[in-house]
Amino acid sequence: MKKNLLMAWRNLWRNKSRTIITVASIFFGVLISTLMSSMQEGSYSSMIGNIVKLYSGYIQVHQQDYWANRTINNTFVPAGSLVSKIRGIDEITTMAPRLESFVLASSDEITRGSNLIGIDPAEENKATQLKKRLTQGVYLKQGDPGVLISSDLAHYLKLGIGDTAVMIGQGYHGVSAAGKFPVRGIVNLPSPELNKQTIYMDLGHCQEFFSAEDRLTALVLMVNDPYDLVPAMQQLNPVITSPYHAMTWDEMQPEVLRMINSDRQASSIMKLILYAVIGFGILSTVMMMIIERSREMGVMIAIGMRRLKLASVLFYETVFIGLIGVVAGFVGSIPLITYFYKHPVSMPGNTGQTMIIKGFDPYLYFSWHPRVFYEQVIIVLIITLVVSLYPIYSAKRLKVQDALRG
Amino acid sequence: MLFTISWRNVWRNKLRSGIIIVAVALGLTASIFMTSLYKGLANQRIEKAIRTEVSHIQIHQSEFRENNDITKFIPGALDMTSQIRSMETVSGAASRLVIYSMVASAETSAGIKISGIIPEQEMEVTNLQEKIVEGTYLTEKKKNPVLISRKLAEKLNVKMGSKVVITLQDLQNNIVSGAFRIVGLFDTHSKAYDESNIFVLYSDLSALMMVPPGAAHEIAIRVLRHDQVEGLYTDLESRYKELEVLTWSELSPELWFLTEAMDFLMYVLFIIILLALLFGLVNTMLMVVLERTKEIGMLMAVGMNRVRIFSMIVLETVFLALTGGITGVFAGMLISKYFETHAIDLSRMGRAFEDLGFDSYVYTSMNVPLLINVTLLVILAGILGSLFPAYRALQNNPSEALRIE
Repeated sequence: MKKNLLMAWRNLWRNKSRTIITVASIFFGVLISTLMSSMQEGSYSSMIGNIVKLYSGYIQVHQQDYWANRTINNTFVPAGSLVSKIRGIDEITTMAPRLESFVLASSDEITRGSNLIGIDPAEENKATQLKKRLTQGVYLKQGDPGVLISSDLAHYLKLGIGDTAVMIGQGYHGVSAAGKFPVRGIVNLPSPELNKQTIYMDLGHCQEFFSAEDRLTALVLMVNDPYDLVPAMQQLNPVITSPYHAMTWDEMQPEVLRMINSDRQASSIMKLILYAVIGFGILSTVMMMIIERSREMGVMIAIGMRRLKLASVLFYETVFIGLIGVVAGFVGSIPLITYFYKHPVSMPGNTGQTMIIKGFDPYLYFSWHPRVFYEQVIIVLIITLVVSLYPIYSAKRLKVQDALRG
Repeated sequence: MLFTISWRNVWRNKLRSGIIIVAVALGLTASIFMTSLYKGLANQRIEKAIRTEVSHIQIHQSEFRENNDITKFIPGALDMTSQIRSMETVSGAASRLVIYSMVASAETSAGIKISGIIPEQEMEVTNLQEKIVEGTYLTEKKKNPVLISRKLAEKLNVKMGSKVVITLQDLQNNIVSGAFRIVGLFDTHSKAYDESNIFVLYSDLSALMMVPPGAAHEIAIRVLRHDQVEGLYTDLESRYKELEVLTWSELSPELWFLTEAMDFLMYVLFIIILLALLFGLVNTMLMVVLERTKEIGMLMAVGMNRVRIFSMIVLETVFLALTGGITGVFAGMLISKYFETHAIDLSRMGRAFEDLGFDSYVYTSMNVPLLINVTLLVILAGILGSLFPAYRALQNNPSEALRIE
């Protein structure tokens, strides 16, 4: 065994160019499949990121009846212990409180049903990048008595900066709620539905308006990327006990999850095609290596080397080549992916423009998740092992006379 | 001469050439098929949206869409519609009254878009009649019939034959109500659409809203062939300057966007696969050059000049790439062509496609510009892939190369 390994190792360096070419075919295989999966994973992550930043966030904590029956009566006062426990979870980067309910919003003559959301301006901006969506006026400050209005609603109500919006609604436990608020800013929300009916207000003023002292409808929690969601939920679940309830973005928007999954399935077919192409590339170089060496193999058998031993030496050679190739590929893919991670591919022309208008990032992002790297290393190594069956097979089948003559 | 030598060289080792040709062909066939499938999905989505919701072109009074203000109707819309219907490229045109208001059952109510339609016109533009799952389409026989979706019926807790009450603000700002009887239930598979649309007769709704005779809010137009949209659009645009004429890509930008984004993603994936093919080709050719050191040394020794040797290797690579490439593009086209008329069952891939608004059966659609680009790219890849091995071949020193076994 040890001797076979040694022979295989020495064989590799007898003809360096041959080995390097075969290693290169595996190296490029790892590089390219890592590039493809990084791009696929990256675009899913950015799709999810784009979607959760529209409104829902990655996780929301509610009072347990709220999701089924979204009224101001199903609100909760967040216990200090809950807040500090959530803050103790490393994966959770942002905690944005919200109190939202239905109101009738009016200007002088026009009235429309709207959704009033009380927010902590700084935290909300971290969660949903609200400040970025501001088209006119200024963003809310902590304790500011003004409101931000979504642009379609503002246009419909004919409200501009500095005008007064009148709101009437039903507060906590049926208390009537009414008030006048100056418009501080206009926000353009990417979702057309939300853009027609959303008003943001400072949380304190909103709680006062709805007579819902300290009460919230939701705590919106953010994580860095979708990969952090599972560990965050694992730590969150023991903390969230009745009467609280935690939901992830995919539970809140199952259709988005299904959409992304179907895209994943379709593009995983593209990945299979890529693996086939890579496999054939490696096979053809390994095959060439064997063909080239058939005379040498013939001599070995003729002078008495057992075919099994020859096969195992060839097998070890391929495994060595495979290992060198994937390690080199792994090392090589790091700078490549880092480059694309920092320089995402931008959508060309009109597509990019429309994406900007719709409030999305016009880029195809690449993922830097460790899984992208080691998964591809393992897969390409498996492909190489399958290919290495060929040398074994050819050692068994080699016709000594023909080989010696050729 | 050089061509023949290179061509024969390709077939000297059938197994080796076969492998790389199969790799190129397989990669291309599969990629072309996948892109055609994607394109088919995108087209189906556009067609469905146009057929059920958007239609190819819509005309409104210019301020109507802003607030859906019912006072911004098109006077004389019915006459206009009959003129448009007689135009050459138009397959159908329908005038509609549109109002966003409320529908109520005995138990509960819902905010809704109410469309007042003229059945015989509407059938030429949309395919609502095919979406009826219970009862019938609207007819003029009975007074005040209404079509609602099965989902909305569940929400309102009503069934076929039940009465619902539509409440709205008429043109004089009076709140008026009318009782309508459900004559049919429809299901378009689009949850959002189903929950927010009901249909009544134009004549019933115009009486309720007190709209002047012959007026409508919306004219929806369907053309005979997809590529006639632009032509008809410019025509209508110049004819009705004071009105707002919009095509489907403006009415539903996300649809347009989806098509573009899909195309782009497929392009990038395709290029990555071509890259993998290129590296496979380069590596194989390097091996070929290495294996044939002695032969190439011999050719040099007997006086074949460097340009010819270089060209020989380049030609061999291009032949390999082209044989695989043409086979692949051809096979990919054949398969895609076959599935253009024979549906693929997607229901095995889960409910996702249906939730996205796709049918569970899909036809492929070949992307011809893409095919041309691919063929060009394969040739380019062949040439690029040959440069380095050909260069390596020239590095041989004839006197040393000849000594090799």
